[in-house]
Amino acid sequence: MRLVIDGIEFGYSSVPVLKDITLDANGPQLLSIIGPNGVGKSTLIHCINRILSPTKGTVMIDGDMVNDISLKDLAKKVGYVPYSANDTFPLSVVDTVLMGRHPHATYKSLDKDLDIVYDTLRLLDIENLAMRNFNELSAGQHQKVMLARGLVQQPEILLLDEPTSNLDIKHQMEVTRILRDLSQEKDILVIMISHDLNIAAKYSDTMIMLFDGLIYAIGKPSEVITKENIKAVYDVDSEVIDSHGRPHLIMLDEEFDSRDTALPADTYAVKEKR
Amino acid sequence: MAGKQDYYRTIHKKWLFILVCSLLMLVALVFSLSIGMYNLDFVECYRILIDHLTGNITDIYADDIVVNTRLPIGVFAIIVGAVLALGGAVMQSMLRNPLADPYTMGVSSGALLGASIAIVLGNGVMPFFNDSWIRIIMAFGFSLIPVAVILIFSFKRSVTATKIILIGIAMMYIFSAVVQLLMITASEETLAEIYSWRVGTLALTTWETIPIPLGISLVCGAVLMYHHRRINVMMAGSKSAHSMGVDPEKTILVEITLVSLMTAAVVCFTGTIGFVGLVGPHIARLFIGSESKHLLPASAVIGGLFLLLANCIARVSGEYGLPVGVISAIIGCPLFIFILVKMRRKSAWN
Repeated sequence: MRLVIDGIEFGYSSVPVLKDITLDANGPQLLSIIGPNGVGKSTLIHCINRILSPTKGTVMIDGDMVNDISLKDLAKKVGYVPYSANDTFPLSVVDTVLMGRHPHATYKSLDKDLDIVYDTLRLLDIENLAMRNFNELSAGQHQKVMLARGLVQQPEILLLDEPTSNLDIKHQMEVTRILRDLSQEKDILVIMISHDLNIAAKYSDTMIMLFDGLIYAIGKPSEVITKENIKAVYDVDSEVIDSHGRPHLIMLDEEFDSRDTALPADTYAVKEKR
Repeated sequence: MAGKQDYYRTIHKKWLFILVCSLLMLVALVFSLSIGMYNLDFVECYRILIDHLTGNITDIYADDIVVNTRLPIGVFAIIVGAVLALGGAVMQSMLRNPLADPYTMGVSSGALLGASIAIVLGNGVMPFFNDSWIRIIMAFGFSLIPVAVILIFSFKRSVTATKIILIGIAMMYIFSAVVQLLMITASEETLAEIYSWRVGTLALTTWETIPIPLGISLVCGAVLMYHHRRINVMMAGSKSAHSMGVDPEKTILVEITLVSLMTAAVVCFTGTIGFVGLVGPHIARLFIGSESKHLLPASAVIGGLFLLLANCIARVSGEYGLPVGVISAIIGCPLFIFILVKMRRKSAWN
C-alpha cells in the first residue's frame, strides 16, 4: 500500500496550520510524527482520513484520491485511534470494539465479527476486560480498547493520535512494540503521533518532525533525533546517545542543573509513617 | 470460545428482558381497562375482550366502555410512551447527551404554539376543518419548524451535536415567549384550553385518533431500528464515527428528522407529555446497557409501559382524573433521580 500526500495546506479560520506538506510513504512500517504542541500533527492525520479537507493539495491511497473513495470504503482502508475516548453511556468493551467492524458488517456477520474482536482483545492482552463496562476502565485500558477498535477495522493504514499518552512505561513499550510488529505481520502502514521521542525513536522505522506547518525533518530515527533538530524545533538543549543502534535523547536544563539542587540527606518534606 | 458464548448469553438475556417487559405491558393494558368510574375487575375486562373478539357480547354497555373508551386510551398510551422513549434513546445516543429527549429540538413547544394559535384564532385558520383537527394540524406543522430550521442551517454551516441542542433551546424560548404573549391577550376560556393542552392528556383519545400517529411512528421507528448500527457508532463521537464510515452530519440530520416527525405525530394529539422520553431510555440503559440494537426496542417497551401505568394513576386520581402529563412528571422526576443515584453506584456512566 502507498500513501501519497501532495502539497496539502490547511488552516483554522485564517490561521494556517499546515503550509505545504508533501509525503510519499509505503507500508509496512511504523511512522511516527513528532513536533511541539500546535504544529499540526493531529490536523495532518485528520486530513489523511478526510475528517478535515485540505484547502489545497491532494491525499492519495494506492493511487485513489481519498475524496473519491466512499466514507465506508475509506474506513476499510484507514483506521483511526483518537486521543481520547467518548464514554458518556455504559457500553461493554466488546460492543465498543465491535463498532470498529461497522464498515465491514452485514446482518449475518456478527459471529465472524466477534471472532475478529476477541482475537484482537487477546492480541492486546485485554480479553479479561471483554464484558466490563468501558467507562469503568482506567485511562490506560481505554487506550488499549481504542487501539483494538482501530485494529478490527482491518485497515491498510492505521492512524493513531498519541496512543500511549496515558500508559505507564511498560505498557507504552508494549503497545508501541505491538504496533511495530503488527505493521510487519499484517502489512499495515502505521502512522502514530507521539510526544515521547525516545519511545518513538526506539520502535519507529521512519520519523517525521513537524514544525511551523512544514516537515522540518524526515528519515530514520537517527537522522531526525539530533540535538540540532531538537534545539531548533523544541528549543531544548539535549544530548543524543546511541542505544542499540537507535538514538536516545537526554534532556538538559543548564540553568537548573547549575543550581545546587541536592537536598540535605536528613530533611524530607514528607516522611514515611511507620 | 468461552468469551463469545458469554457475549451471546448477554444478548439472549437482553432479548428476554424486552420480551418480559412486553408481556408486562400487555398485562398492564388489560389492568388499565379496569380503571375508571364504571367498576370492572381485571378478570371481567379480560372476559369482555375475549367476548368482543369472539363476537359473543353479553353486556353492551360494559363492552362499549372497555373496547371503545378505555382500550384506545391504553393503546395510545403505549404508542405515545414508546415513541417518546424511542426518540429519547436515539437523541441521547446521537447527541451523546444524557439530558437529550425528543423535545430537545423544541418539538413540544412548537406543537404548543401551533395548538395555541389554533385555539386563539378558532376555525378562522382553516375553515374546512373542525376545531380539534385544526389544532392537530397546526400543532404538527409548528412542531416541525425546529427541525426545518436545523436542516436549513445545515446548508450553510456544519451541524454538530452542541449546535443542535443550542438551536433547539433557542427555538423553545422563542415558541414559549409567543405562547406567553397569546396567553396574556387570551380570554379566560381560551386560556383554560391552552393550559389543558399544555399539560398533556390522553383522555380525548378515540379509535379515530390512532391510525395516523401509529402509521407515522411505525415507519419512522422501523427506519430508526434499521439505522441502529450507525446510531451506535455515533456514540463514539463525530471524529471516530467518521473514521468508522459514518457521516456524522448526515446521520444526525436524518435521525433527528425521523424523531421529530414521529414525535410531532403523537404530540399533536396529546399535548406535552414530559419525562417519558428522558426516563424511559435511562431505565432501559440500567438493565441492558447502551448498545442501540437492544436499547431502542427496550426503551420503546419501557416507555410504553411507563406511560400506561402513569395513565392508570392519572385516571384513579380524582373524579375526572388528572392529565397524564402531570402524573408522568410527578412519578418521572423522583424515578429519574433514583436512577441517577443507582447508576452512579454501579458506575454505569461518569
